Amino acid sequence: MRESKLNGMFFLLALLLVWELAARAEWVNPLIVPAVSKIVGTFSELLWSGQIPLQILASLKRAAVGYALAAAVFIPLGIFMGLFDNIRRALEVTVEMLRPIPPPVVIPAAMLFFGLEDEMKIFVIFFSCAWPILLNTLDGVKNIDRVLLHTASTFGLPQRKIIWQVILPASSPQIMTGLRVSLPIVLILVVISEMVGSTDGIGYFILDAQRRFRVAQMYAGMLALAILGYVLNQLFNLAHRSLLPWHWGMTKRME
Amino acid sequence: MNEPSKFNWTGWLVFGLFLLLWECGSRASPKLQLYIPPVSQIVVALSHLIVSGQVTTHLLTTMRRFLEGYLLAAAIAVTVGVALGYFRFAHSLTEMLIEFLRPMPSVAIIPVAILLLGIGDGMIVAVTVYASTWPILVNTIDGVRHIERTLIDTGRTFGLARRRILWQIVLPAASPYIVTGLRVSLSIALILVTTAEMIAGNKGLGFFILDEERSLQSSNMYAGIILVAALGYVLNRLFVVLQEKAMKWRRGMVAREGL
Amino acid sequence: MGGETTVAIGNISCQVDAGEFVSFVGPSGCGKTTLLMSIAGLIAPTAGKILVKGRAVNGPPPNLVLVFQEFNKSLFAWRSVLGNVLFGLDARGKKVRESEGKAKALIELVGLKGFESHYPWELSGGMQQRVAIARALAYEPEVLLMDEPFGSLDALTRLELEDTLLRLWEELATTILFITHDIEEAIYLSDRIWVLSRRPSEIIEELWIDFPRPRHQVTTRAEGRFMEIRNQIYKQISNENTA
Repeated sequence: MRESKLNGMFFLLALLLVWELAARAEWVNPLIVPAVSKIVGTFSELLWSGQIPLQILASLKRAAVGYALAAAVFIPLGIFMGLFDNIRRALEVTVEMLRPIPPPVVIPAAMLFFGLEDEMKIFVIFFSCAWPILLNTLDGVKNIDRVLLHTASTFGLPQRKIIWQVILPASSPQIMTGLRVSLPIVLILVVISEMVGSTDGIGYFILDAQRRFRVAQMYAGMLALAILGYVLNQLFNLAHRSLLPWHWGMTKRME
Repeated sequence: MNEPSKFNWTGWLVFGLFLLLWECGSRASPKLQLYIPPVSQIVVALSHLIVSGQVTTHLLTTMRRFLEGYLLAAAIAVTVGVALGYFRFAHSLTEMLIEFLRPMPSVAIIPVAILLLGIGDGMIVAVTVYASTWPILVNTIDGVRHIERTLIDTGRTFGLARRRILWQIVLPAASPYIVTGLRVSLSIALILVTTAEMIAGNKGLGFFILDEERSLQSSNMYAGIILVAALGYVLNRLFVVLQEKAMKWRRGMVAREGL
Repeated sequence: MGGETTVAIGNISCQVDAGEFVSFVGPSGCGKTTLLMSIAGLIAPTAGKILVKGRAVNGPPPNLVLVFQEFNKSLFAWRSVLGNVLFGLDARGKKVRESEGKAKALIELVGLKGFESHYPWELSGGMQQRVAIARALAYEPEVLLMDEPFGSLDALTRLELEDTLLRLWEELATTILFITHDIEEAIYLSDRIWVLSRRPSEIIEELWIDFPRPRHQVTTRAEGRFMEIRNQIYKQISNENTA
């Protein structure tokens, strides 16, 4: 394990070194592919000047609101749809009709309605993670093992208690899956919506840098995005671990 | 498990009510109508666009870009994925690189692609390939690595050559994973094509939708959205049908991957 | 599930006395589980009546609890061992404060002292089933139903758990209705055994087992009568299978 990590590190460093040399020796056009050192330098400049943190903050704010709204609406809805077959059947067709819409094409519609304001991006994000959250929650509730439900009712628990003490905790891992699957989608949609219609945010920053031909800045922005993606993923793992410690331990054990 | 596949009357009724509410709400408020035209108007616009052939080139362009990008990504990702899954050393070299590149939202590659390839077909296909490669690649690697050692050893005891082990054991055994990756990438490819068309294109449904929005032709814009959704739906159905044909032995093991 | 209806249970009419340990033995697929599920009020019988303490069963009766074979599915993975046992007490309506001591006592009784804060999935199969039994007993049922509870455990663990169960039964004086396809297990544990036929199942034999208690894995099983009863039941069941 350790050895393979070391291998990977060397390989990555070697690649970066080749990149650096290629740019310096002008085997590739350094105007289009600047040296790694230059990108990193620009990155740290933009980091300390506060420009990148500011843009990331703007993006994160939108992402967080849209994501939280989607969770607040679609987790309860998914639970209801899982519990009551009538509700599920009633909403099924509408969901299946809306689901195939690729989220980016909602952006123009949202722009008509909300202009270039934050609400536009929040709506797009809300829409884009609706389906993974809803469908995973629904599946989580519907797929609870019969033995578990039988156990709960043999202990004579009333319906309300069964929902809170058995159905919710039992479906929580799959609800978590829905939230996890949505995370990269949220990030993609923030970036897209900022590229298509915005005046700030990291997506806008990257596209704008390209348009002004500030190439090193563009790469620095991408580096910031990669780090952001990584950090968010780690944060999610942390949340998973502290919210569902039993499930975290269970899956770790199975691996 | 096997619910009787009765026609879902309530579901369609609710959907009908939703459309009716849309229609009436839009007609009631002229201001709202600018943003959300009545459903009937959208349907008329859609049929106009189709009959007049105005969207045909856009639709075909988007489809072609999608197919090129997706198929190319599948070919590359499965090949590389099998190799990386099979050869431990290769995997140990690239694991970190993959883990580093993967969390970056793939659309961020669009500006780089514009820089390197200019605006045009090549750029759009390239970003589609890049983005849809990851899910397939990662799943294929996982799939190959999860193959029971005994399965390959069984092949060896039968004296199979490496090539036949690859075709007759490794690929089939990893196929459920590969299919999962292919399925996730299907939606991602469509997202990337339409996004790239919106950001830098003069053709394609993504461009069309954004263009209609900018000229405030909201009915046409919604018609375009319906077309993209229909395209996504058809591609998904097609995928499911092909998958069921190809993987009869593993029916009902499809998980939901979101998107 | 399929649309066809199978008559799982034919004409069964039997009565269990309070404090008894009774087993149903029968060939696999004979409807034992269906019978137990009906008694537990989890499925409604199409015809006939089940009375627990003189009251007809519709819905899970309050003084009865069922222990399933699939302990890995029936335990709450998100609750610790203590939490699982507390669930039984809570369901019985016990106050939290007095519960904890009681739960700990039960955990000790099933031999899991020291594992209170472990999660079920951290334990072996045998230990998990002990948790399930402790949780069931925490509910203080008058009747404990057990559906092949030791069916998926290895042979040695099985013997251990049989003895634990007998000890608990004697200590707590509950009625136990036990389902198994292991003939010897039934003989070893029970006061009375009902042998079931294949579907639609009916009772084809009622046997009283009068080995003295406490029973012993070596000496009880070594008695000549033990083998006689075993062979008798085995013949009946295997005749059923070939008939």
